[in-house]
Amino acid sequence: MVDQKLLVEEVKKIVSQEDVKYVIGYKKGTYGFAISPAFAYSPEYVDKFIFNPLCKKNLAVYPILEEKLPLKKGEKADTRKIGVIVKGCDSRALNQIIQEKGQKRENLVIIGIPCTGVIDQKKIISKFPNVTDYTDIEEKNGNYKISINGEVHNIPKEELLADFCTSCVAPNPVIYDILIGDEVEPWEPQEHNNLKELNEKTIEEKWAYWEEHFQRCIRCYACREACPLCYCKECMADMLTPQWIRRSVNLSENTAWNIMRAYHLAGRCVGCGECESVCPVNIPLMELNKQIENDVKEMFNYTAGMDVDEKPLFGMFRPDDPEEFIL
Amino acid sequence: MESLVLSKNKLPELINKISSEHILYGPTEENNYSSFKQILNFDEMNLSYLLSRVSPKSILFKQTETLFKFIPGRKGSVKSSEIPEEKSVIFAIRPCDARSFSILDGVFNGDYEDPFYISKRKNTVLIGLTCNKPEQNCFCTTFDDSPGSSKNLDILLTELNNNYLVEVVTEKGNNLLKNMRSLLKEASKEEIQERKEIEEHAISTINRKMNLEGIVPKLDKMFDHELWHNTAFKCIGCGICTFLCPTCHCFDMQDEGTLKEGARIRVWDSCMYPEYTHHASGHNPRPARMNRVRNRVYHKFSYFPKNEDVTACTGCARCIDYCPVNIDIIDVIDKVGAILIE
Amino acid sequence: MNKNPYMPILATISSIKLESTGERPIKTFKMVLQDENARKNFSFLPGQFVMVSIFGTGESTFAISSSPTQKDYIEVSVLKYGKNTQALHQADVGDTVGLRGPYGNSFDVKGWEGKNILFIGGGIGQAPLRSVINYTLDNRDKYKNIDIIYGARTTKDLCYKDEFAEMKQRDDVQTHLSIDVEEEGWDEFVGFVPANLKRLNPSPKNTIALTCGPPIMIKFVLQNLEELGFTEEQIFTTLEMRMKCGIGICGRCNIGNTYVCIDGPVFSLKQLKKIEGDM
Ligand SMILES: Cc1cc2nc3c(=O)[nH]c(=O)nc-3n(C[C@H](O)[C@H](O)[C@H](O)COP(=O)(O)OP(=O)(O)OC[C@H]3O[C@@H](n4cnc5c(N)ncnc54)[C@H](O)[C@@H]3O)c2cc1C
Ligand code: SF4
Ligand code: SF4
Ligand code: SF4
Ligand code: SF4
Ligand code: SF4
Ligand code: FES
Repeated sequence: MVDQKLLVEEVKKIVSQEDVKYVIGYKKGTYGFAISPAFAYSPEYVDKFIFNPLCKKNLAVYPILEEKLPLKKGEKADTRKIGVIVKGCDSRALNQIIQEKGQKRENLVIIGIPCTGVIDQKKIISKFPNVTDYTDIEEKNGNYKISINGEVHNIPKEELLADFCTSCVAPNPVIYDILIGDEVEPWEPQEHNNLKELNEKTIEEKWAYWEEHFQRCIRCYACREACPLCYCKECMADMLTPQWIRRSVNLSENTAWNIMRAYHLAGRCVGCGECESVCPVNIPLMELNKQIENDVKEMFNYTAGMDVDEKPLFGMFRPDDPEEFIL
Repeated sequence: MESLVLSKNKLPELINKISSEHILYGPTEENNYSSFKQILNFDEMNLSYLLSRVSPKSILFKQTETLFKFIPGRKGSVKSSEIPEEKSVIFAIRPCDARSFSILDGVFNGDYEDPFYISKRKNTVLIGLTCNKPEQNCFCTTFDDSPGSSKNLDILLTELNNNYLVEVVTEKGNNLLKNMRSLLKEASKEEIQERKEIEEHAISTINRKMNLEGIVPKLDKMFDHELWHNTAFKCIGCGICTFLCPTCHCFDMQDEGTLKEGARIRVWDSCMYPEYTHHASGHNPRPARMNRVRNRVYHKFSYFPKNEDVTACTGCARCIDYCPVNIDIIDVIDKVGAILIE
Repeated sequence: MNKNPYMPILATISSIKLESTGERPIKTFKMVLQDENARKNFSFLPGQFVMVSIFGTGESTFAISSSPTQKDYIEVSVLKYGKNTQALHQADVGDTVGLRGPYGNSFDVKGWEGKNILFIGGGIGQAPLRSVINYTLDNRDKYKNIDIIYGARTTKDLCYKDEFAEMKQRDDVQTHLSIDVEEEGWDEFVGFVPANLKRLNPSPKNTIALTCGPPIMIKFVLQNLEELGFTEEQIFTTLEMRMKCGIGICGRCNIGNTYVCIDGPVFSLKQLKKIEGDM
């Protein structure tokens, strides 16, 4: 469990540093169990920062979302650092981005938090629909202890735990400037969900399974926008000349999109689960990602984002280079 | 307005009868969420969800629509354009989603008429279902609407203890039920009272409200306010808020097809994407997330009221529920209201 | 009438003229509607635009650059950029294209009769102005002085060279050309269009000023015109936003609550100043 006071104290120190622009963390959302990313530009704002098992969102996506707008006359580029709070998987995402030269290490202040797994919003909402607020939530002895309207509920961890956490290989941040709290004991990674059964199916059955899912895709590309590693300047899905994927929303184009997305993350995906959890039509994207992760592990004995000095698996892969087409 | 009752066990018969004569759309369950689909048999329907994930605008304003077909190339020509003529019924649409069509009508029937939407709109009967149990972010009452409003519907069903109360609102609704009268009987005073109480109770459970007072003139003074920067920091530009929103109507147009035959299609688009306004020259009038978040809010709460005399929000809360980063439109508008500007 | 506003009518490209050969070439396409009835019924006003389709590639927005006094055909001048404009640049005489329109509002050429007209154009921005220029020249007795200020980056980028040469021979229209940087053999102004305007110092008296060009040029031209004493009601420009439908439905061309495709593209400076939005 993270000491709330320590978190606020440490982040305040970082925000106060002259060479830090802002720190990204979490705060309580506007309703129910919602959590909101929070941007602290000054120490006062840090008082709102929290960390609890609901803080699932991978904040590593933000430094890359910073717009580089043309400077006005006389305006100087703001080169100060960005601070970001990361869990294990989130830190791997940063590692991966730094390896790929998407961000410079020295431009980041990485605040690590050892993680014991996070709660799946969809699961907790279906367990407690229409709860407008909670007072406290913490993990204790294999249970989540949730206080709602003065009543304490003890829910077994596995009932609310996000699926992808069970296969996590690095709950402790693998890169950080400061670690808040003590490292946790990693657990034995499990096979993701029903991947095993899925693998026992025939090719035809697998296609049928995925077609059933892909036909529902509404091609909002939220999976892409949420992913810290989808940061190509121009995504192939948006290109017009040549047009790799047509705009029509139908099974064949949706399939092309989903396969392209998954393959472009081969050896890069860190398994943070963002893509799947934002998908508005509940497509189990993590099953695809995890399968590819397994394949990459088997073929190249490689796990993405573990070591910042390692070269990316596809060494020549440059995210903004459309010619490096690895599908 | 005529009030009838349908006993609960007769609902399947009513549905199957409608679906045998019309194209019927109703809520179905798939992968733990609800979506409107064509229904051939009552059993395919699932009425346990409050709202469909994607709004039923997708029926009248399809995500992918063929505008016309052509023969491609330098000697190309236009082949055909088919305006859909099908008659359809949407069953169990919620009052807020029904209201979205009244909002969209002004867009699709403005200076020019969009024959695809308008034709389907004219040929579609809306059968609503009262929301007996609104969910935590519902705020339709902000817009003078109600979980039991029949205003934008042809027929409204309300689930009572033993029956459905069936209110026939329009001539269109009346015509639909013409040869189904045997399933229905006159409602009693008590049943009408029960329906009223259900609506009142539902209203009392709505605990979110947006303060719309003075928002339009206030927004006029706030275009350059830092609120837009501060709100947009956390936006990841995923577009979910616009794709799921029942009043968002933006689209892209593209040519697709083979070398021999092609079609110009339109597909949903979103002002939350940077490409949306990107000029060929490289210039982009909305280069930052700030510009885009601001445009979404202004379009719904300033431009729509100015141009169409209606706020383009129904209070369905889809954008609140599914925004991955908790950009909460009620919160944003309330902040606009609370900011002091001389 | 076509009941599907998204469906174009067919036109044949009857001639193509290479206007400029710079880094981004410009070609003018003369197009004749294939259907005789459509030809008869097609009418437009200077300032309006059309949507041009290459079937299988897509549709793009262009100002009509010919004048309504030239019956039987319309012209558009196209700067080569992306997908559709590249395809158009590859087209040949005799090819079929699709046309939708005319759309948008127009310049109030009737209301300006009896006035001096000052045109200030840059690059491809000259296209919509050309429609008005040719209209006023075809109705020459209805207008007083006509002055045309036009500039481009290099001589290669200058558009409508032959037409400017012809106008040079006339004494009822004054042309003032410029290029951005010195070139051998160039004996007109060297510098940016706004500077040329300032140098020429036109009088605002009974004059209407029309300007179109790259955003940065427009910005300084507007500034300079106001400094010269032109009022907001005397200055007009046409705006560009990315467009798809052209008919006020697809939503993308808005600047604030103004939709450029139906409320524009022509705006007076007075109207422009009232619009608050992303440009
Ligand atoms: C009112 C108006 C008048 C115009 N008049 C002219 C003219 O006379 N001559 C000329 O050369 N250009 C003109 N343009 C710009 C022209 O429309 C774009 O350059 C052209 O659409 C680019 O298409 P593309 O396929 O080559 O570029 P891509 O970048 O491949 O464009 C893809 C799509 O984006 C849209 N698009 C991109 N940029 C623009 C833009 N600036 N405006 C509108 N849509 C855009 C188009 O729909 C196009 O289909 C005008 C634009 C507007 C709005
Ligand atoms: S988030 Fe889901 S619906 Fe959207 S594009 Fe990705 S897979 Fe498709
Ligand atoms: S693909 Fe999904 S799980 Fe993998 S890094 Fe991206 S968001 Fe995370
Ligand atoms: S803006 Fe949000 S609450 Fe309003 S109609 Fe759209 S999705 Fe529903
Ligand atoms: S402009 Fe944006 S907010 Fe408005 S309808 Fe279009 S997508 Fe929705
Ligand atoms: S859903 Fe939220 S994060 Fe996504 S585009 Fe809308 S406001 Fe931004
Ligand atoms: S171009 Fe579609 S609304 Fe203006």
